[in-house]
Amino acid sequence: MNSVDEILDYAIDQEQQAADFYADLAGRAEKAGMKEILLDFAAEEQSHKQRLLAVKAGDHKLTPEQQVLDLKISDYLVEVGASANISYQDALIVAMKRERAAFQLYSDMAAKVPEGHLKEVLQGLAKEEAKHKLFFESEYDDRVLRDN
Amino acid sequence: MNLKDLLSPFYVWQRAFEKPYTSIRPIQERPGAAAYRGFHINISEECIGCGTCHKICQNDAIDMVRVETYEGRSGDSGLRPRFDYGRCCWCALCVDMCPAGSLRMSNEYTWITSDPTEFHFTAGVEHTTWQDNPLGYHRAEGYHLYPPKRIEMEMLPPEVSVQSFDEVVAGYSEPQALLEADRCIECGICVATCPAHMDVPDYIRSIRDRDYEKGLQLMYRTNPFPATCGRICTRRCESVCPVGIQGEAIAIRWLKRFIVDQIQPQDYARILADQTGNSGHRVAIIGAGPGGLSAAYYLRKQGHAVTVFEAQASAGGMLRYGVPSYRLPDADLDKDINYIVSLGVDIRYNTRIGKDIRFEQLLQDFDALFLSTGLSVPSSMRIHGEEHPRVLSGLQVLADVASGRDPGVGQKVAVIGGGNVAMDAARVSRRLGAEVTILYRRRIADMPADTEEIHESQEEGCHIVTQAIPVEIIAASSPQQVSIKWGEAEMVQDPKGGRPRPVLQEDRMHVETYDCIISAIGQGSDLEFLSKEIQDQLAIEWGKFAPGEYQHTSLQKVFVGGDVANRTADAISAIEDGHHAARGIDRFLNPDARTHTDQEVN
Repeated sequence: MNSVDEILDYAIDQEQQAADFYADLAGRAEKAGMKEILLDFAAEEQSHKQRLLAVKAGDHKLTPEQQVLDLKISDYLVEVGASANISYQDALIVAMKRERAAFQLYSDMAAKVPEGHLKEVLQGLAKEEAKHKLFFESEYDDRVLRDN
Repeated sequence: MNLKDLLSPFYVWQRAFEKPYTSIRPIQERPGAAAYRGFHINISEECIGCGTCHKICQNDAIDMVRVETYEGRSGDSGLRPRFDYGRCCWCALCVDMCPAGSLRMSNEYTWITSDPTEFHFTAGVEHTTWQDNPLGYHRAEGYHLYPPKRIEMEMLPPEVSVQSFDEVVAGYSEPQALLEADRCIECGICVATCPAHMDVPDYIRSIRDRDYEKGLQLMYRTNPFPATCGRICTRRCESVCPVGIQGEAIAIRWLKRFIVDQIQPQDYARILADQTGNSGHRVAIIGAGPGGLSAAYYLRKQGHAVTVFEAQASAGGMLRYGVPSYRLPDADLDKDINYIVSLGVDIRYNTRIGKDIRFEQLLQDFDALFLSTGLSVPSSMRIHGEEHPRVLSGLQVLADVASGRDPGVGQKVAVIGGGNVAMDAARVSRRLGAEVTILYRRRIADMPADTEEIHESQEEGCHIVTQAIPVEIIAASSPQQVSIKWGEAEMVQDPKGGRPRPVLQEDRMHVETYDCIISAIGQGSDLEFLSKEIQDQLAIEWGKFAPGEYQHTSLQKVFVGGDVANRTADAISAIEDGHHAARGIDRFLNPDARTHTDQEVN
């Protein structure tokens, strides 16, 4: 992946894969109420994909300079499996971990390319993933850690 | 007739051209004295529409009128005072009594209009020239028509309370209760805020009248757990009590307890005189907690046969297994439960639905079902090492103590969490002789535990470390001990608003070793007793039921309530859910009944 378009295509594909992942999990979900929640997650990923498609079309700009709050919640949580019996807490952990991995991937790639447009796009994508991670971490903080 | 008589009417006309002796209005209006009692000023934002001004007005010059802007605000009736200056005698009793301190009087006293209906106005809502007038009558600083401070409650000193599980709060004596009841201004703001809408002003009046039997009857209209709620209620009523704005709220919870404490259990049947007929309908209730038993009480009064299925060996749910006896002695909980059971409620103990009896069987055997199974599954921290055997659950520690078992907490304990379960687990551990540290990820102000519980836990020697985030559980050198790694947190404002969020500071980590770590970070529901097919037919959001009107679900016979179906997760809300569901079940079972008023099912 050397061009901006290739990077964006990869990112768009990743968002689609994430949406498919949650939609598939929703189809298998056994716990009450989890199907709707996982479908919400899938819709969230679809909205990320739409945003990136808009970036590729030139209708929207990534903002690499924007600072995103890092709550560091997912950094110290254990890995959990995405089983059909997944709970809401675990579904959020899966989502947070996925966003964190994507953030790290784009951050690492940005660190390896020279200054220029490509670097800016990678940094912008990293910031996007950081925002997604913050979204799920805030949800975890509000709902799972509500009494804590 | 002489000439003088003929001309005299015309002499009057000469007066028309003389300087008049009277004037149409004073050219120079004289201002009122600086503290003159003139037209009213009300700061509507500070007013809560309690209507105390309306009640105390001796001339009926104040009406409370609906003002849309203030409708729907918690602790606010949405009403504001409207003054009739055809009646007002400017005595300022309304100003002296106003508990919110929002009402005063300007020193303006002239209002000239040709329309007599204009002399009504809603102060602070309708525009007046004097609303911003700083002069006029103000209640003097520190002057109150009623004592602003509540009668202090006698409690065991902390150095004594930690020595046993004896009840900490002594309860009011009659003279104390009478003095405290005298402070109530009977505004009724508390009634709207109480989830069960208890008739607080009237049962407090029963204390002033020393008619405690009447007080008990009033309480049972909406709450069959008054002995319990008189001790451990979350008392939202007190949080909105207008007397608390410029003083201390009426001790509503302790007054409720006082009434119940005056009456012996053997007198309940005579005083309450509850009639239980036989409707021919059978209702099953799953869970003998406050929600389930509240529903059972009102359903029996409607004449329905009630069978309660309880997984534990005793009734009460979290009230028995999650609230320690130093806050709620068993005898007082049993006072409430035994009366409900005495109405013919059949409780099947040690019976777990989904294991001992299938849920589908209940659907088949009963005419209606009420599910109130509570939140019984402790939340997991999901950090590394959490499965260590010296990591205990707060719920289990409390259940062990309630059942007379030693939870084996050791001598040095860390409790994780900031809710009531965490505070109780900490205070229980203190009573078992441990040195206790509470680790909480946010600030004390953010703790969901009752402020009294937090204060009492500190007084009893629990050390609270705030902004402490657990990140890992580590095996200690001894298998009887366990270590925890936690990091300090900085509170950071959420860019999207809401409460500040704790952010871990990775350069400020600590490792401490304890005899055990008690995890008390919350609890969730256990819906495993329902098959997937049944679950799919019920609206479930975030692990809780989402019932419709009258706690009814989309399953025809099934109603739900209590912690498993509401967001507040406290006893009084569960009690109201049970009462509400009983109304709904009665409507469901008797759809052709002419009316279903609250009175019928009370």
